[in-house]
Amino acid sequence: MKALRVAVAGNPNVGKTSLFNLLTGSRYKVGNYPGVTVETREGGLRVEGRAVEGVRLVDLPGTYSLTPMAEDEAVAFRALTGADVEAPELVLLVLDATNLGRNLYLALQIFELGLPVVVVLNMVDLAKDAGVGVDARALEAALGLPVVETVARTGEGVPELAARLKSMAGQLELMEQRLVPAPEGGVLARCLADMGGDGPRQRWLLAGRAADRLELAAPSEAERQRVDGLDEEAVREAMAELVGARYAEVDRLLEGLGLGADAAESRDANVAPAMATSEKVDAVLTHRVFGPLIFVAVMALVFQSIFSWADPFMGVIEGGVGWLSEAARSILGPGLFTDLVTEGVIAGVGNVVVFVPQIALLFLFIGLLEDSGYMARAAFIVDRLMARVGLNGKAFVPLLSGYACAIPAIMSTRTIASFKDRVVAILMIPFVSCSARLPVYTLIIGTLFVADERVFGPFTQGGLILLAMYGLSTVSALVLGAVYKRTLLKSPTPPLVLELPPYRLPRIRDTLRHVWDRTLDFLRDAGTIILAVTIVLWGLLTFPRVDPSELSEGETAIERSVAGTVGKAMEPALEPIGQDWRIGVALIGSFAAREVLVSTLGLVYDIEGADEDDAPLRDAMREAKDPETGEPRYSPLSGLALMVFFVYACQCMSTLAVVRRETGGWKWPIFMLVSMTVIAYVAALIVYQGGQLLGFG
Amino acid sequence: MPFQKKGPPTLAQLQPGEQGRVRAVSGRGAMTVRLLEMGFVPGVEVRVIKRAPLGDPFELRLRGYHVSLRRSEAERVVLAEAEARG
Ligand SMILES: Nc1nc2c(ncn2[C@@H]2O[C@H](COP(=O)(O)OP(=O)(O)OP(=O)(O)O)[C@@H](O)[C@H]2O)c(=O)[nH]1
Repeated sequence: MKALRVAVAGNPNVGKTSLFNLLTGSRYKVGNYPGVTVETREGGLRVEGRAVEGVRLVDLPGTYSLTPMAEDEAVAFRALTGADVEAPELVLLVLDATNLGRNLYLALQIFELGLPVVVVLNMVDLAKDAGVGVDARALEAALGLPVVETVARTGEGVPELAARLKSMAGQLELMEQRLVPAPEGGVLARCLADMGGDGPRQRWLLAGRAADRLELAAPSEAERQRVDGLDEEAVREAMAELVGARYAEVDRLLEGLGLGADAAESRDANVAPAMATSEKVDAVLTHRVFGPLIFVAVMALVFQSIFSWADPFMGVIEGGVGWLSEAARSILGPGLFTDLVTEGVIAGVGNVVVFVPQIALLFLFIGLLEDSGYMARAAFIVDRLMARVGLNGKAFVPLLSGYACAIPAIMSTRTIASFKDRVVAILMIPFVSCSARLPVYTLIIGTLFVADERVFGPFTQGGLILLAMYGLSTVSALVLGAVYKRTLLKSPTPPLVLELPPYRLPRIRDTLRHVWDRTLDFLRDAGTIILAVTIVLWGLLTFPRVDPSELSEGETAIERSVAGTVGKAMEPALEPIGQDWRIGVALIGSFAAREVLVSTLGLVYDIEGADEDDAPLRDAMREAKDPETGEPRYSPLSGLALMVFFVYACQCMSTLAVVRRETGGWKWPIFMLVSMTVIAYVAALIVYQGGQLLGFG
Repeated sequence: MPFQKKGPPTLAQLQPGEQGRVRAVSGRGAMTVRLLEMGFVPGVEVRVIKRAPLGDPFELRLRGYHVSLRRSEAERVVLAEAEARG
């Protein structure tokens, strides 16, 4: 028997995911819709902990209407209309009982599809508290469809719902398409007649034309001609009439339930019932003065968590990796295979796992902020700033997270609805100075500058240079983002039209589950690439192998490796930016992660276990002389050029692996690598050559 | 006000605490359709709750829920009466 496929649909934030988790016992697969990284979850129905054969549920992204504005809504539209996947056999339509005035609009659109529908009236607890309790039987009678009341927070009503679904398997009939009638003699009726009659198909085509989204309905040639034949002004009016007719029907239904405008009038008309408490909270949280202060505090907390709270966990992971390498070394004994295992495989796994604390913490916070309703307020507060770049307020958290680490930051861009805008944010994030650049800056400043020298007041040379690097990276990210948004990824500034939902207590279990899903997704998908590249880089730095006795005075084994050869071949290109082949080798090594620059330089200068605060490495670099001129090899100016190079360069394979994952292909990661490297080179060139012209260095 | 804007009043001209009745959504394209579908249909009452601390966007209430719109979006929502009601 073919499984009954049930699509869980509804407005955003109505409790779909909570219900879905309860109905499937949280046993599901996270799927990505082909071509876009919009998550859909799919799982089998479970009643009282036991699987029910033959009923499968799909959790669709929340949508306000079936005229999609962004990718996530398009996924819901395509899944429900069967545009390119099979349409579901049954729709589980989740309504927020506290907000029927808007929720019923989508309901009417879904009824137009003619699919069997079970209506879930969720959040009945909140509706009762707010004094807008809905009589489920009356709604059932008005809609002529089964209505089940639930409280997804506590699980109330869910067993009844599951039983209902179970009993429906195998005995479904298509219901008739219910079209809210077009007003007689209006423009809508005329347009529909011009398109060959009224039906759901004609209505999407009309909406598609009005919204410039015709391609979503995948029109045939004949349909396209008919739609294009319509008069622009008529389409506009017809669409307004269509939406107006549906809302008039919503009002009629509400009236019948005793929730109409008159009832609202007799209550305190100045308060949206479900928002009564939230409005009081917002009096503080979006207050002119307190709002921004609290916003900064919350963002500081999120940032702090990934910047420093993740540190001890990362330390434990690094310690574990070190211990594992030692253990492998002592079991296997010295040799090439041991090196492969320790420096390739174990180090590679370490390179992957080390991101887990930051990813988990960031997604934990984002989950809590989203589910509680604060994220919408945060977007409300910073929207004005982000709109300057051409993005909306939702892009703020990903960009901020970039200062800690680009990996979780790029993963968190999924909150941005439009794909083009997501790519803009993804391209901006790696320009933001992440924490892995700090060791590089520290080494260079400590080696080539007098870090502690007072410049003025409490400011030291080292501090000011560091500040300049962060300033440069921030300004560059914003400027380049604005440029990409206006050229390569041109699209109008995304509308805000952002719902400010009532504040709600999140379900921690669901949040943790989401954190777990995203972490696994990273390990599985980006992790394999990171592991593979680590092994390749190890090979480049190791082969061909030379016997230590063959090395001449002052030469290190790494010099003869592929990376050494490539570094030397690159020297003509590196000289104009004030660097030599040794830096070239270190750049290759640091592709594994920026901070690896330090240890690779250690290998080049034959210093065991170098780190950025290490005196031996600093001394070796300070004392290094140019063999031809006898001048010091590195000057403050060449150090500055190298730092500027690191501000811009995409020296991080993990970033590229995650970008591939999030954009679904190699196009954007390759663009990112090439463009960032070019920008970095040109910037370093300007600094070094310009500095020399001005007589520095 | 030295310059009185010509044309019909829009939602963008309301002050926090004021309320107006929607007459139409002007313009074309996705944004217009979205505003309609979010409930900005003729006859509906919309109240401006507040502005964001930086002056934009607006927080509005209609049909029992709260939504935020930028000034540029609110300008598309044309109101029925010339004078706003508090
Ligand atoms: N009080 C109460 N809270 C609920 C109920 N159902 C869900 N919630 C809460 O409402 C918030 C949103 O629930 P979700 O399950 O994430 O909603 P969703 O529809 O999946 O949201 P999107 O995935 O963003 O579209 C969460 O904080 C839930 O804990 C309910 O019946 N009563």
